[in-house]
Amino acid sequence: MRFNDQFDFIRQHMKRNKLRVATTILAAMMGCAFLIILASVGFGLHKTITDGVLDNQLVTEIQVPGKETSDEKITDEEIQAMREIDHVIAGVKRSSPDAEAVAMLDERKGYVPAVLVDFEEEQKAGLALSQGEMPKSENEVLVGYHFAKQLLTEEEQKKVDEGEEVKGFTDNVVGQTFKLELSPYKEGVEPATWEFTVSGIMDEPAKDWIVNSKIYIDDSFGPEFNNKLALGESYNEILVYADDLQNVGTITKTLKDEGYYVYSVTEELDSMDMFFTALKAGLIFVGTIAVLIASIGIFNTMTMAVTERTREIGVMKAIGAQPKLIQKLFLMESAAIGIIGTVLAVISSYGISFLANWLVPIIIKSSLGGEEGMDDVTLLISVIPWQLVVIASVISIGVAMVSGWRPARKATKIDVIQALRQEL
Amino acid sequence: MIKIQGLQHTFAIGKKGKERRVPVLKGVTLNVEKGEIVAILGKSGSGKSTLLNILAGFMAPESGSVKVGGNETTTLNEAQMANFRLESFGFIFQNFQLMPGLTAFENVELPLKIKGMAEHERRKKVQRLLEEVGLVAVADHYPNELSGGQQQRVSIARALITDPPILLADEPTGSLDSETEGDILKLIRSLNQSLGLTFVIITHDEEVANVAHRQYRLHDGELVKGEKRHAI
Repeated sequence: MRFNDQFDFIRQHMKRNKLRVATTILAAMMGCAFLIILASVGFGLHKTITDGVLDNQLVTEIQVPGKETSDEKITDEEIQAMREIDHVIAGVKRSSPDAEAVAMLDERKGYVPAVLVDFEEEQKAGLALSQGEMPKSENEVLVGYHFAKQLLTEEEQKKVDEGEEVKGFTDNVVGQTFKLELSPYKEGVEPATWEFTVSGIMDEPAKDWIVNSKIYIDDSFGPEFNNKLALGESYNEILVYADDLQNVGTITKTLKDEGYYVYSVTEELDSMDMFFTALKAGLIFVGTIAVLIASIGIFNTMTMAVTERTREIGVMKAIGAQPKLIQKLFLMESAAIGIIGTVLAVISSYGISFLANWLVPIIIKSSLGGEEGMDDVTLLISVIPWQLVVIASVISIGVAMVSGWRPARKATKIDVIQALRQEL
Repeated sequence: MIKIQGLQHTFAIGKKGKERRVPVLKGVTLNVEKGEIVAILGKSGSGKSTLLNILAGFMAPESGSVKVGGNETTTLNEAQMANFRLESFGFIFQNFQLMPGLTAFENVELPLKIKGMAEHERRKKVQRLLEEVGLVAVADHYPNELSGGQQQRVSIARALITDPPILLADEPTGSLDSETEGDILKLIRSLNQSLGLTFVIITHDEEVANVAHRQYRLHDGELVKGEKRHAI
């Protein structure tokens, strides 16, 4: 029998038992849709959290907090060696002096963190300004986007203490010269003051909730601070920048092999991936149980179909149909139920997923009372990647065919003589 | 055309473990020539249906040989036998055995579909045959919309559509009134004469048996030669 005739044959049979076939397809669809939706929640959470990680930090940034082998600080030579690793575009050291920093501009003052940086290397790492230009002389500095807001008068400081909002310094801070007073945390050492001019303002942080009020001073000031204030060991932040996200893993591995503690986005993603892979596998397993329950329906429908069509199967065998053809026709019918159910399940799952992604964040946001910063959070409840569609389709259609296998075998075993004796 | 030799078969009767074997066919031997109509008469339970079932390959005999066109059929497996049936036999059943969900046209077309014939070719062939047996007017009717005689004509058309050399008929007029029975017997005779088809007819009805060139009677599992009615 030709394939299109076989197809036509099962189509006619399915049409004759519309209601039963439709309910079986519905059951298959519900099972498969349940599997997809359940697993899509795992994929959605994974994506939400991964995106969160990627959004909250520069993805090509690798933090090197120290050495695994000793407590010694990472030396400048070692940082230079890191810069020479393949695909590393910059290796920066940011030192925070062991002192409290207060910036003073006329009658305004603000507690702001001071950081010693190598501007040249920071530029290679992707430092961007929102205003002004890079420092050209030793006494020029860059300030964070929110620096000016931190410079408060006494009156404004009182208002802040009382919980009121103030605007801080509203004039252009670029070109302004301010005094920086450093008071060492170590007791018995007098504070010292330097004068700096703001040459540029850093770019606005990527997220609303990040506040950058730092002062970025050229690292050549380091020894001077130490001499005048007899500072203790400053806290150093070592960051290595890769040229591309795909090279972060390799650089991370190289640094680890060289005995450094390393933290990069790939490290975080790797541990997350492991957890979410297990979660998704678990959800797919639970979803598969729903598909198996639906398969009982397919088994029953096909068994009924074989029983009802015993006489017809007998006639077909009598007039020369091969047992394999009979088996194939029934397997095709159960596969058709599985395929139609799966297609409908995929379509409805995308619909449900779209609805969930639209509705649930609205509900969550409204229940949180529209807290500040929430607009910035992208919450994906459900994500259906093509891989999930493939996995669910294979499971669903495979289970449908397996459930049709026994009835189909039963059909081939039908005895022609017994079948022809059946009453119409 | 058909050579049956020493066919023996028994049936088990009684509860499993305590069953006893009852012989149904006791060494039946029969030769059917090409273009011959042979009728096998017998009361119910005489074994005539068993003989037809073995001849058609629906069941295997305990011993004996069945040769059709020189091919031993008792040694064929199920798939080979199905193929053999498709090529060599046409079946006319007492209850017509039409597919209720298919129209008269589709019922006649079914064996060609099973054979894998292309649609345009088979449609032409079915149309021509339906014209020959006078069923064009009811081609798109479903079996339950046809009279008994029309249904049996559809059944005969279905049996003829693959151009088999042999037609096996099991009580072909058993469900028909006497007028329609006459029509069907006339059709059988004319098909035999015009196409040279070989018929093996199983019946309990003497009237039906009269259409045959030779008659045999199955009695207690043994085949007794009857009177030769007509020359081929």
